[in-house]
Amino acid sequence: MTLFDVVFKGNDAVYGLTEQAIDAAIAQHGADKAVAFPDTAYSLPCYFGVTGTKVGNLGELKTALGVVKTLMTREKKLNDVFMSGVATALCAEFIEVLKYIDGAVPYEAPCYGHLADAVIRELGVPLVTGDIPGVAVILGTAPTAQEAVDLVKSYQGQGILVTLVGGVIDQLQEMGYKTGANVRVIPLGKDVTSVIHVVSVAVRAALIFGNIQGGDAAGLMKYTFERVPAFVNAFGPLDEVVVACGAGAVALGFPVITNDVATLEAVNGKVPKSIIGQPDVAKFNATSLEARNIKIKITNIDIPVAFASAFEGEIIRRGDMQVEFDGSRVDCAELVQTREASEIEDHKIEVIGPDIDEMPVGSKQSLAYVVEVAGKTMQADFEPVFERKFHSYLNCVEGMMHTGQRDMIRIRVSKDTFNAGFRLKHIGEVLYAKVKSEFAAVVDKCQVKIYSKPEDCTRIRHEVAIPVFDKRDERLTTLTDESVDVYYSCIMCQAFSPSHVCVVTPERLGLCGAVSWLDAKATNQLDPQGPCQVITKEKVIDERIGEYEDVNDAVRKFSQGALDDVSLYSIIEKPMTSCGCFECICGIEPLSNGVCIANREYAGMTPIGMTFSELASMTGGGVQTPGFMGHGKHFIASKKFMKAEGGVARIVWMPKELKETVADRLNETAKELYGIENFCDMIGDETVAEDPETLLAFLEEKGHPALTMEPMM
Amino acid sequence: MGNFKLTTVEEFEAATNRLLETGKKVGADAWQYRVANQTPHCKFGEQGICCRICSMGPCRITPKAPRGICGCDAHGIVARNYLKFTAGGAATHSDHGREICHTLYCAKPEGPYKVKDPEKLIRIAKEWGVETEGKDIYDLAHEVAYLGLSEYGKVFGNQNFIKRAPQHTQDLWQREEIAPRAIDREVASSLHMTHMGCSSKPEALIRQSLRAGLCDGWGGSMAGTEFSDVLFGTPRPIETEANLGVMNAENVNIVVHGHDPSLSEMICEYADDPEMIAYAKEMGAKGITVSGVCCTSNEVAMRRGIPMAGNFLQQENVVLTGACEAIVVDVQCIFPALGPLSKCFHTKFVTTSPIAQMPDSEYIRFSAETAAENAKAIVKMAIENFKNRKPELVHIPDMKQKATVGYSVEAIVKTLDGVTNSQVDVTGTTKPLIECITSGVIRGAVAMVGCNNPKVRPDTAHIELMKKLIANDIIVVASGCSAQAAAKAGLMDKAAKDICGAGLKRVCELADIPPVLHMGSCVDISRMLILVAELSKDSGLNISQLPVVGCAPEWMSEKAVSIGNYVVATGLDTFLGVEPYVSGSSEVAELLTNGIRDWVEAAYTVEKDIDKLGDKMIERIEEKRTAIGI
Repeated sequence: MTLFDVVFKGNDAVYGLTEQAIDAAIAQHGADKAVAFPDTAYSLPCYFGVTGTKVGNLGELKTALGVVKTLMTREKKLNDVFMSGVATALCAEFIEVLKYIDGAVPYEAPCYGHLADAVIRELGVPLVTGDIPGVAVILGTAPTAQEAVDLVKSYQGQGILVTLVGGVIDQLQEMGYKTGANVRVIPLGKDVTSVIHVVSVAVRAALIFGNIQGGDAAGLMKYTFERVPAFVNAFGPLDEVVVACGAGAVALGFPVITNDVATLEAVNGKVPKSIIGQPDVAKFNATSLEARNIKIKITNIDIPVAFASAFEGEIIRRGDMQVEFDGSRVDCAELVQTREASEIEDHKIEVIGPDIDEMPVGSKQSLAYVVEVAGKTMQADFEPVFERKFHSYLNCVEGMMHTGQRDMIRIRVSKDTFNAGFRLKHIGEVLYAKVKSEFAAVVDKCQVKIYSKPEDCTRIRHEVAIPVFDKRDERLTTLTDESVDVYYSCIMCQAFSPSHVCVVTPERLGLCGAVSWLDAKATNQLDPQGPCQVITKEKVIDERIGEYEDVNDAVRKFSQGALDDVSLYSIIEKPMTSCGCFECICGIEPLSNGVCIANREYAGMTPIGMTFSELASMTGGGVQTPGFMGHGKHFIASKKFMKAEGGVARIVWMPKELKETVADRLNETAKELYGIENFCDMIGDETVAEDPETLLAFLEEKGHPALTMEPMM
Repeated sequence: MGNFKLTTVEEFEAATNRLLETGKKVGADAWQYRVANQTPHCKFGEQGICCRICSMGPCRITPKAPRGICGCDAHGIVARNYLKFTAGGAATHSDHGREICHTLYCAKPEGPYKVKDPEKLIRIAKEWGVETEGKDIYDLAHEVAYLGLSEYGKVFGNQNFIKRAPQHTQDLWQREEIAPRAIDREVASSLHMTHMGCSSKPEALIRQSLRAGLCDGWGGSMAGTEFSDVLFGTPRPIETEANLGVMNAENVNIVVHGHDPSLSEMICEYADDPEMIAYAKEMGAKGITVSGVCCTSNEVAMRRGIPMAGNFLQQENVVLTGACEAIVVDVQCIFPALGPLSKCFHTKFVTTSPIAQMPDSEYIRFSAETAAENAKAIVKMAIENFKNRKPELVHIPDMKQKATVGYSVEAIVKTLDGVTNSQVDVTGTTKPLIECITSGVIRGAVAMVGCNNPKVRPDTAHIELMKKLIANDIIVVASGCSAQAAAKAGLMDKAAKDICGAGLKRVCELADIPPVLHMGSCVDISRMLILVAELSKDSGLNISQLPVVGCAPEWMSEKAVSIGNYVVATGLDTFLGVEPYVSGSSEVAELLTNGIRDWVEAAYTVEKDIDKLGDKMIERIEEKRTAIGI
């Protein structure tokens, strides 16, 4: 039997099972029974991606199966094999969606099953920045549970997102290994068909970030092949179904690495860079990364525990905690300061005060660390840029949790990490190594001072740090779109969203929320040929909507001609595009003549009649969609938010949590612009209304300014 | 990438017609008119049944006159003519190889000819049992060159290079007594056998045809390729452009044409010289553009990225542009028509080789010893001719395609190394390609070679077959004028992956290659021999078992027949789109299309319907796959 024969056989088998399952479901529920995955705007995302058709009920699912059958051609060509692989995947999606009938919750912890659109939008930024350098799909049962743990751990240590299907999930559980989205190890499900939930992520990445239209199967496969750095590790013994799924993976561009070399050889199944036999599971990691051309950024940091972005979301519970530094209770601070080169001894790390082993277990302590840097091209404006990265750096330490910033930080160190030998100087090592490697273009020398005596911390906080923070805030308030000579482009997302360009201005940060004007400026300084380029703003076309000839030229150039013109301050006229990884989306709510904003974390309904996922699917992929705009949270309180349409007064609805986050600043802006006090109280949220009529009544009662503004459309 | 589009044969023809208009204005002749004058061709000649090897004749065979005066029948006459044809081709290729050996013998550290790939020289020296340790590279070059030259007249034994063939192939050659001996001997023996009153037995004559072919492929041609690499560098993937649009109306245009790179390498060297460029500017041009025609073009494209102006039947077109200051030729496939044609324009037609001397040309005798001065004089002559251009006659068709060329076997192996996985694979082999083939991702490979021939609508067969093959997941390696047809059409642009089947497309993407690989000039078909030999050794399959075939759909020269013979004798089924002159003998036709399969495990297929020719190749490839269970 040849490899192709095996794929065809596996595909036929899965097709048969799917047909039976759908027929049985129809017999039980009737053809009109609705079928859908929860929290997605894409129906059955894989089927929608390949065909452009949304399936709504069992009858339509049966019709869809007929379409799948047409993919199952049997010529001895790779195209037939690829399509049979895709057909197998679609069958798996059909089988999986049946599990969700009637709002059932078919997966229980630790398994996740279907993943929401919001999860994918969140993955956008780390995938682009390389914080998640790849996605591993581990399938089957490892030869031993220890090998399973070692393999997963090896990927985790590199920041690779790991998804698990089948027996490996039990193996990790048996070994007591921690899994979950926060540590980037996601068990999908134990049936082989649950692999579709990660395929679905790749497909939706293409739809969300790549502006691939549903039905453009070739474009979809090109996108995943070129831009989604996923790969499959399939443990033997391989059966036909796994091989047929593998064909689907290879079709999408994901290489399959297996330890079942005998089966591969028997069917002449080895294909360079695509299907690779690796008998030694210990070498799966290296083999896979090489096959998918994934390069791991190595920062050698001299600390006794692992350092990887996979640990960024790790949570340290009170019971597991050795010590806690809590800026909300005692004096803490983190600070970057620029010094003269002569004042700095490179890589000097000083701990001034008691170390962790001198602190009672479970106690709350003071901590202040000052990172002093010098460099010929260093500017004070970069200090907060570095500082804001500390959160991510320290979180990457295994067994360490960092939240907040400035003097409102909280750090927990786990007992395991302490026992492994982690001490305060290692915080210095991490900060030193990361600042030196990531900001090498501007930082020539760097030293770190760590203070742990309460009196020192109090002094540093109040006498050193706070005055600096105040000065910075003052600078930020004077930093307006008008006060600067240039803006910056940001095309960091183009790896995923090839035609999107962000124009970053002081009052409008990147829609991902991760790139402020200062960040962009620093990025430009660090890498002048890099993703952030200077955009001049000398040739005004229309002040009202913020349109400039030079900005349009830049956008045209950086979008490779995909986009002609863009306004900075309007959501109706030539609105700025989105890549897909925006923090928030706002859309017009016609009844109230305003806009509703939903943030990624909000899973409920909005008065527009769409969830965040549905709203988000209206835009993204670098396309202009008048009436919809992706943006960062911070932008909401900006005086430039929808300035062309009258500004923040248009905001009529936000989820409560988001409203609370932005309330202080938004109130201030509204007061300054319109003289309205406590503007946020006029804005609806899900506790007030999830439909336009109720919302309108609420707005009328509050006398919301949007009601009396000019019609938007 | 999004705007990739193949150039069609119709577009080629429209451009040619526009140039013929210019020709009419100046009273120029062209092959298109001469073909008309020569049609219909002599039927006796076409069938191979005209014998003029003695002065009793000429004799020609008809049903009423089934034997010549000496009593030789149609089978003997056809086979004799076939062998003579082969010997002509083998002599030609091999003499080219001899010139290269001689150039290597003249190489000096101070130039003009230097050893550019010493590693390859050492590799060949070791292969031939020459001591390399502690030896000056130029002493070694001279020693190896001397041995290379000796291969032409070696007293005993077989060609050195045949040891590169898989053992099974060598055994077949020994068993069938066709292992090639001294090159000159095989050519001389062929002419001896075909003398009046020698062989008239088809088996014997065809057997010698294979042997004479093998002395070319595994002898003279291989020497030509290998020592050209030593001298001028082993080709590596390089970007270039193809078709007449590569000529530049504002520059002095020098077109090199022929086969031997010794001359063209020097021309390129001096055309790049700042002093010469300054001189060109002084003469009113913006610079100097060297482009090529035919296999000389392939040689300099592969090594220097020099653009390709066109292939065999486009040689008159370069002059018809009115923008060609000099067409400089060495040997083989040069139309004598270029002499009179050049007189209709300001173009200098420069012949350089005692082997190819023609009326109406400027003869600047070129030799390895005086290469630098010769080349300089030629470039200077072209520059000084710029002012004589008649602007009203200048028209360069705005037509060219991007191409990545330079796939020597070494480059292919290096490319394949790029798709290995260092955790499981070895490097330096053809195994990744074998895996692609055995898994079915690629169905097989076709070596497309050969010329243009007015009997086939020029380039159509090459281009249409290649399109069909790559759409069917069959990778194509090409050389000679076939390669140039591919480049002109755009099939050597990496973007051409988009018109491949899913399997070949994926391979092109992963390996970053175009679907049609340019392996060089016609002597470089020896590279294809080495490639299949490596595939055979790395896979453990005999060459004849590999799903690989050869194809010359538009062939025309004696060299092509010699090539066909060595390709078949190496174990590759070979598909022809133009009939050889053998239809007058059922016995010879049967031998070539079937009988020789018993000797060398391969034979010819002739099919003038190009679409069917493609189907037959695909069918044969699938048969071979089935036979080995893949």
